[in-house]
Amino acid sequence: MSTPSLVWVRARPAGRSLLSLLLVVAFALSVLAVAGEPVAGSGGAKAAREVLASLLRPDLSLPFLRTVAEATLLTAAYAVAAMTVALAVGIPGALAVSGVLVRRRSARLASVSVVRGLFATVRAIHELVWALLLLIILGPNPIAGVIAIGLPYGATVARVLGERLTDVPAAPLAALTSAGSSPWQTLFYGRLPLAGADLAGYLFYRFECAVRAAAVLSFIGLGGIGFQIQIALADLRFERVWPLLAALLVLVVAVDRLSRYVREAGTV
Amino acid sequence: MSADVQLARRPTPDTPSPPDGDGRAPWLLGPALIVVALAVLVVVGAWVVILTQPTTTLPGLGVTWQRSVDFGRDLLGVDSVGTPAYADRAAWGEVLPLAVDTVVMSVLAVGLAAVGALATIGYSSRLLTVGEFGTHPRLAWPLYLLTRSMHIVARSVPDVVWALLIVFLVRPGILAGALALALHDSGVLGRLGSDVVDNLDRGPLRNLRAAGAGRVAMVAYGVLPQALPRLVTFLLYRWEVIVRATVVVGFITTAGLGYQLRLDLAFRRWTDVALVLLVYVVLVWGVDALSSALRRLAR
Repeated sequence: MSTPSLVWVRARPAGRSLLSLLLVVAFALSVLAVAGEPVAGSGGAKAAREVLASLLRPDLSLPFLRTVAEATLLTAAYAVAAMTVALAVGIPGALAVSGVLVRRRSARLASVSVVRGLFATVRAIHELVWALLLLIILGPNPIAGVIAIGLPYGATVARVLGERLTDVPAAPLAALTSAGSSPWQTLFYGRLPLAGADLAGYLFYRFECAVRAAAVLSFIGLGGIGFQIQIALADLRFERVWPLLAALLVLVVAVDRLSRYVREAGTV
Repeated sequence: MSADVQLARRPTPDTPSPPDGDGRAPWLLGPALIVVALAVLVVVGAWVVILTQPTTTLPGLGVTWQRSVDFGRDLLGVDSVGTPAYADRAAWGEVLPLAVDTVVMSVLAVGLAAVGALATIGYSSRLLTVGEFGTHPRLAWPLYLLTRSMHIVARSVPDVVWALLIVFLVRPGILAGALALALHDSGVLGRLGSDVVDNLDRGPLRNLRAAGAGRVAMVAYGVLPQALPRLVTFLLYRWEVIVRATVVVGFITTAGLGYQLRLDLAFRRWTDVALVLLVYVVLVWGVDALSSALRRLAR
């Protein structure tokens, strides 16, 4: 009789029950913390009705659709430009973070810990907070928006790419090294091909995030889909919000689809 | 475009040449070249669009450096009179409760997102609706398509834009911010969760069905035990992302550290900005550490 229960206990670690309990209690506490607050907004039910009613009559006039198209193009351009910055920061960053090119152990440990700390700080700050800070230094300049997204994304790419570069199977690398290949040769013939396949998928996921981030660069006075949404909401023209949201949806889904094609092709 | 993508999808069998051929790694050749050419075209086009914007100016290196240094001095309060905020007990006393608000907002958001995702992934997974273990033949496709689209819409719209919409309906505050974050994240978790369910080991499910288990028993004994640990791991990862985003959503829903940061920036109280940023970064690191400790428990 006692054997099955022992097996059951082993199959279900105690940590999990504790974790579930912790999570449920944390959530319950957070609900209690806001339970006393009034919920309804200033507009109340009337605003809700207006927002929903506008869904049925979206603004599809030609001049507005032109604005939507231009805003979408601009948002896509921001996202692509930001990704180039992210790669320009992330690829050298990954080599530095993983320390795969440094042979001496002590030098590797030192450089790796310094660069890791730096990137962890850059990554901790949200891209729109970066945008606000860069706005102060660069002014309302599209370059500030591109850097604001590219910098923290580059730090994230550095971490993920760096982890993949160090986590590749050891045997093929050992074969290359014992055949006398330099760290650079090991990188190009061993680490990159081994880490490459699912890396493309991850980069496209980052690109998808960049599209969403670019859409809200209106925060620092830059154009794009978010800017148009803000204008529409400020004028209480809800019927203009929906086509803009639809355009954003199409853009994000398109990037998602593209990523699937590339992953299936396995060419990158 | 689509023709090229088609080409890129099916690599021709003779492309992977042995690496000793011309000294280049084989994965640099073939259809990849077309993809790379297209990517270069898109990147150049994007930069042309950015650089031709009316407000674009190429910042000079010297000027930018000078301004960065000045801004850094402002943040540290080097030239200002009086105590900088980060050395002032009263300022800390104002900011720390806001940090607590921010944490509450993030936990509430993760919880609501989890509830939203758990309520829908039973329908948005192929396996349990239109796939091998579907049981409602007539409603399966509509439910599957509906929940899938809900996830796509929720996920595609950034949390900040959800917040802009939600403040029309819900009183600005912690709850409005949490709802905006949760809405976006229920889409993210919903997608991740349905992928997890679709990739489950089907053996236990087949055994349960062979033993005569109904839909409820199958989910309770076959799906949840396998999927929950992975879902909890995702949940904790998303918590890290959400904590970073609470600040930005807080700008709009006037709650937590975000709103304070917005006010301090607007009134050019630079040392207060530095204090909020410091608390924010420490908070993010703390949550990262806690999340990875909890993830170890889930294993």
